[in-house]
Amino acid sequence: MGSQSFSDALGVDYGALAPLLIVLGGACVSVLLEAVLPRVRRRSVQLVFSLAVVVVALAAVIIRATSGAGDVVVLAGSLSVDAPGLFLWGTLLALAVPSVLMLADRSVEPGGVFVADPEALAEAQERVGAGSLRSTSSGLPSGTGTDTHGVVGRRGGAGPEPTTPPEMHTEIFPFVLFALGGMLAFSAANDLLTMFVALEVLSLPLYLLCGLARRRRLLSQEAAVKYFLLGAFASAFFLYGVALLYGYAGSVRLADIAASAAGPLRSDALLFAGLALLVVGLMFKASVGPFHTWTPDVYQGAPTPVTAFMAACTKVAAFGAILRVFTVAFGTTALEWRGVLWAVAIASMVIGTVLGITQTDLKRMVAYSSVAHAGFILIGCLAITPAGLSGTLFYLLAYGFTTIAILGLVSLVRSGDGEAGHLSGYAGLAQRSPVVAAALSFCLLALAGVPLTSGFTAKFAVFSAGLADGMAPLVIVGLVCSAIAAFFYLRVIVLMYFSDPAPDGPTVSLPGPMTTVAITLGVAVTLLLGVLPTAALEWAGAGTFLG
Amino acid sequence: MSPTNYLLLSALLFSIGTVGVLVRRNAIVVFMCVELMLNAVNLSLVTFSRINGSLDGQVMAFFVMVVAAAEVVVGLSIIMAIFRTRRTASVDDANLLKY
Amino acid sequence: MSALVIVLVLLPLVGATVCGVLVKGGRDATARSAGFAVSLVELVLVAVIWGLFDPSAPTRFQGESSVEWIPAFGVSFALGLDGIALAMIALLAVLVPIVIAYTSFTRAAERFPDGPDGEPRGAGGFVALMLSLQGVLVALFAATDVFVFYVMFEVMLVPMYFIIGRFGGARRQYAAVKFFLYSFLGGLIMLGSVIGIYVASGTRLGAATFDWAELQRLAAQLPESTQIFLFLGFFAAFAIKAPLVPLHTWLPDAGAQAPIGGGVILVGVLDKVGVFGFLRYCLPLFPLASQTLAPLVLVLSVIGVLYGALLAAMQTDMKRFVSYTSIAHFGFIGLGIFAFSQQSVAGSALYMVNHGISTAMLFLVVGMLAARGGSTQIADYGGVGKIAPVLAGLFLVAGLTTLSLPGTNSFVSEFLVLLGSWPREPVYTVIATVGIIFAALYVLWVYQRTMTGPLRGEAVVGGGPGAATARALAGGPGFSDTVDTDPPDATRRARFGDLSGREIGVLAPLVLLIFLLGFFPQPVLDVINPAVSATMSEVGVADPVGPNGVAR
Repeated sequence: MGSQSFSDALGVDYGALAPLLIVLGGACVSVLLEAVLPRVRRRSVQLVFSLAVVVVALAAVIIRATSGAGDVVVLAGSLSVDAPGLFLWGTLLALAVPSVLMLADRSVEPGGVFVADPEALAEAQERVGAGSLRSTSSGLPSGTGTDTHGVVGRRGGAGPEPTTPPEMHTEIFPFVLFALGGMLAFSAANDLLTMFVALEVLSLPLYLLCGLARRRRLLSQEAAVKYFLLGAFASAFFLYGVALLYGYAGSVRLADIAASAAGPLRSDALLFAGLALLVVGLMFKASVGPFHTWTPDVYQGAPTPVTAFMAACTKVAAFGAILRVFTVAFGTTALEWRGVLWAVAIASMVIGTVLGITQTDLKRMVAYSSVAHAGFILIGCLAITPAGLSGTLFYLLAYGFTTIAILGLVSLVRSGDGEAGHLSGYAGLAQRSPVVAAALSFCLLALAGVPLTSGFTAKFAVFSAGLADGMAPLVIVGLVCSAIAAFFYLRVIVLMYFSDPAPDGPTVSLPGPMTTVAITLGVAVTLLLGVLPTAALEWAGAGTFLG
Repeated sequence: MSPTNYLLLSALLFSIGTVGVLVRRNAIVVFMCVELMLNAVNLSLVTFSRINGSLDGQVMAFFVMVVAAAEVVVGLSIIMAIFRTRRTASVDDANLLKY
Repeated sequence: MSALVIVLVLLPLVGATVCGVLVKGGRDATARSAGFAVSLVELVLVAVIWGLFDPSAPTRFQGESSVEWIPAFGVSFALGLDGIALAMIALLAVLVPIVIAYTSFTRAAERFPDGPDGEPRGAGGFVALMLSLQGVLVALFAATDVFVFYVMFEVMLVPMYFIIGRFGGARRQYAAVKFFLYSFLGGLIMLGSVIGIYVASGTRLGAATFDWAELQRLAAQLPESTQIFLFLGFFAAFAIKAPLVPLHTWLPDAGAQAPIGGGVILVGVLDKVGVFGFLRYCLPLFPLASQTLAPLVLVLSVIGVLYGALLAAMQTDMKRFVSYTSIAHFGFIGLGIFAFSQQSVAGSALYMVNHGISTAMLFLVVGMLAARGGSTQIADYGGVGKIAPVLAGLFLVAGLTTLSLPGTNSFVSEFLVLLGSWPREPVYTVIATVGIIFAALYVLWVYQRTMTGPLRGEAVVGGGPGAATARALAGGPGFSDTVDTDPPDATRRARFGDLSGREIGVLAPLVLLIFLLGFFPQPVLDVINPAVSATMSEVGVADPVGPNGVAR
């Protein structure tokens, strides 16, 4: 540590920090834009600005990763920019692009999910005639040639609209950027205090985002309260863990904790109590196993684009942090605590799978599936080997894109005023909209882990790493759970393809260009990582954590 | 007085906070219990700082206070919003999202 | 030749894409013709490769090619053919055009279930799915990389799932999901072993690999306990696929609910993946475990022979009947493989081909009968021989090859299996021989009930489910009023309708193969034998049958 961290303390390595600085700086500018811009122009400016920030930050990550610059610890040792960290940053920023697009989309429901005043909008549309509303929200039943129809449909709706376009909560853009900045810091944090601050920076905007939907206000706010209270509860555990580890090691630097643990100095009670509490907080964020209770409620209640952002990005950030903590701080004592986490991983897989079967709402089903997947990912985390690290990183990338695509598709299937969350709404979807049904089936097969999808490659990477590290029972449980979980993914496919649609069943919205791009991106990456995963696997295995 | 006693007090406060979160119904009270937990941690941090003979723990306590303040802002605003639509702050009444 | 093998994989996939695009464009008839043409080209290609295949070549595989796929996992897209794989690919190449022709060009092809517009689904989509399935299966048989094999093993479920689920009978959803879940479960158990052998190769060979030849070399180093675990993983998947008895329950449902063409490929080829897996993966990769666990497999096989035969005799539905006969036949194949003699294994390999031909014949004849009667219930038919003699004759041929009458193809393989198994496993062989008697019983009983005797049964004489179809086939509404007045046989014959020229054309190649391979199986055996010898030496069991065919 010594000399290097001192030199870093004097001069900040801006090259290494660039992506983080860009995102957090962009978030601050975004807040200013919110204050300065006139209302009518906020949405377009904020959207373009946020996308630009994310893309530039992504470019900075790619430049950094390809430049061959070595791993460094920056800001007096509080952040570590190393190869896995860069991969996590790249993943987060890449996932943020479709998330931002979906958040900003206004084509799927009139005015977008975050419309400021749905009643006023509905009245305005009432005035110009019911026709425009219908053509916007229900669209044409055929899914072929989605793009052209979609444009026509929306133009028909937009033509006679009132002069002021519907307002939306443009605060979501700075929120997303702050959350993203927090996630970047969280996955690169090299000491526990930074990790805690980053955890709050990423969580607080997410709590608010959950509660911002105006149409299903009660559900949305209920989700926000639940998420907030349980999230704050979990951060308190995390923090107490930090305090105990500080008491144990005299420092919150991950590498120092590892060094203390290697020496015979203090009682291990503090070390393991601290680890346990720390892990509770982290597992909560990653929605693992018995700490998943918020997941289904929040996934279902939050606006779907927020769910997509949260499901994909939070998981990446949280598991990034888990990987780093396990590897850097507790790698030397792995044998002593791993048994407990075996139980957690098994619990997570079993809970996610078994409860997933009983679900009748697709978003809740995705939530339970995410709990099961968290268990699979945990297998990779527990194998503290290079193969486990690269497998986990790859899994996070693959899972994130698949989830975003699924939730994007879910947001398209609508009945009446909102999304048709209930599974029965998906009956005969293939006849109403073959493209949406095919894309959804593909993504569900990816979650089930059928070969030639990213889900299989990821599962293979994680399971082989687990088995190589002597975790055969975990791998077997994982395989059995995969098989059981296949049942409920398949049930949706069966409904979509082999059932007859209900006459008054839900309609399929025609996505605007932004949602279309987001979904296409998700599906394309899912396919690409299944067929040609080499490049991603190589980047994921490019290096190890720097302590 | 041995610093260990402060640690015990801290653990006690943390437990009280935990139990409060688990058993209380009112969202505001639940939230206050979370704050109690955070402050219990602060006590630990300061005590460990004393035991370890370094100032890091005390600095961390300041971080925690700032973060807790931010959390209060966000939390109260969410609770206010739900109170306005529902006219209640009981977490038991928030039961639309189930199974 | 390696280039040809690659083309063999890609051609059906390209054909499937073209068909799919044509169907989307609403040109169903063009799609069917294009699909048929592609399948014929594929058949010609296979014939060329068969000609180029050199049975005396010293290498294990011929026409090998390898492209690096996922270097991080040591995976290459490696293809290569041995005799058994080539025989299976050839069987597939023969059956696919027949199935497509039957589905697309015969008037009596079954009506597919209604699509969203209320019209029956066109066969174009079926043809596209069938071609994609063919491409995947060819890649599966030709794979010399365990990972590629596994990928294809799982992927082949997807087109088959849609073939059953979209084009099948009344309970097609249930059957499709049952089929998929059973196979997927088996596949995941196998995945555990695939990962296991991959990890083992990493620790014992230095570099983790999926290359089949490398892994075969690894077999000598693996302790028996490890081998048994890994063997069981592969075995579970293959036993579900091949169906051995306790794991067979999906097959009658899938076989009965699949459309006729789907059933042919499902039972004829897709299930053979299981026995193919025994031969190519279980035996060579885990020789010690194979020997230790052979009694288990033999018991299951023999139970399968008897149980399949008994249940076949009790079936009331002809498609379920065909499925259960297959379970009995798979028992014979399993017996031959795990008896570990050159003759029995060669017999089993030949059996795989012959059973494909026999089952295809039987399925197609049942399909043609059902197209006339509108029902697959045995009780709905009686005395069909009087009004449709050609159909009855071909039904008899299909039945006789199923019961392995000397002179038909199945006899040779069944005889080889029993002959080869006798020296090592006399008890099991004797029990299995009883199965032959059962086979004669159930086949002839079904034939007697449906084809001989006086005209009877709803589908033939009554106003039962098939009457409308029968009238439609006869083409004239004028016959409808003669139903009640006990018309003479000639009228009934016209109404029911014997096989058309096209239907006979579809069955002709199969009949030809049945008798050709019955009298002259040597060309196939020549191709199969080197692969069988190689497998035997990989297992490391001395052949109990001497070179002159006499047991030691």
